[in-house]
Amino acid sequence: MQHIPYTIDVRPDTGLTNPKLGIWLFLASEVMLFGSLFSSYALLRSGAPSWPDQSAVLSVPLATLNTLILISSSATMVLAWVALKWHLPARFRLYMGLTLLCGAAFIVVKVFEYSDKFAHGLWPSTDNFLGLYFTMTGVHAIHVLAGMVVNAYLFGPGMQMWRVEPERFTNRVEVAGIYWHFVDVVWIFLFPVLYLL
Amino acid sequence: MTARPYLAVFGALLALTLVTVFIASLHLPETPTVLIGLAIASAKAALVAVFFMHLKGERPMIYWPLALTVFLFVALFAFILWSEADHITLNASMGTF
Repeated sequence: MQHIPYTIDVRPDTGLTNPKLGIWLFLASEVMLFGSLFSSYALLRSGAPSWPDQSAVLSVPLATLNTLILISSSATMVLAWVALKWHLPARFRLYMGLTLLCGAAFIVVKVFEYSDKFAHGLWPSTDNFLGLYFTMTGVHAIHVLAGMVVNAYLFGPGMQMWRVEPERFTNRVEVAGIYWHFVDVVWIFLFPVLYLL
Repeated sequence: MTARPYLAVFGALLALTLVTVFIASLHLPETPTVLIGLAIASAKAALVAVFFMHLKGERPMIYWPLALTVFLFVALFAFILWSEADHITLNASMGTF
């Protein structure tokens, strides 16, 4: 089988490994995806004659909790990568396991939030604000789930690579981490824009 | 390779999150609330990008596509705000934005 080139060594022309350049180009497209959603929010809110009190409609304590959870998951993710740099695979599993738990906790809180809104008759079709809220947080939650799938693979079967190609596995974790941190960055903006402002 | 800088950034992110919630609870006028909230969010995002995503000390090949992305992102917002400037001015005078 043909191996993907430059997964460990850097390409002489770019100065980067292929996966790292690839993830950053992918994230550039993701910035524009979320940019379109944020700009839609700005357009609809600035053009609206009235806008609901967002902090009264949504739960600020739950969103604050989710912010703290996601920031913690970013920290454990980077510490998992540091553990591999130190050649401590058991510690990597600990931190990656914590990252997965934080991701699961974030989704559970989000499901609880959605259920509460639905129970009170608040749907995406209720008004423009709730339409934006469900769309933006829904797209973000899908990204969290996608990151969890990758992280679960690296935590489980994907870790077999550590025994034969430790440096390549470390690079994989770094690339997965860059994606995971991007998901955190998106939430860092979603939190004040949807809940506080 | 040490974990200390990452832990320091983690602490700063937690502190800035609490500052954001505190400022929102003060119920300041809308414009300063928006500006302060977005400024703190930008600072937090920069910390994550520079340290956790290792942009600090990264190769120029990463910076150029990101610079183009930032330019297009800003242009997207600029054109929307430009086209909606009359609505924003009107709504601001009515106290709704």
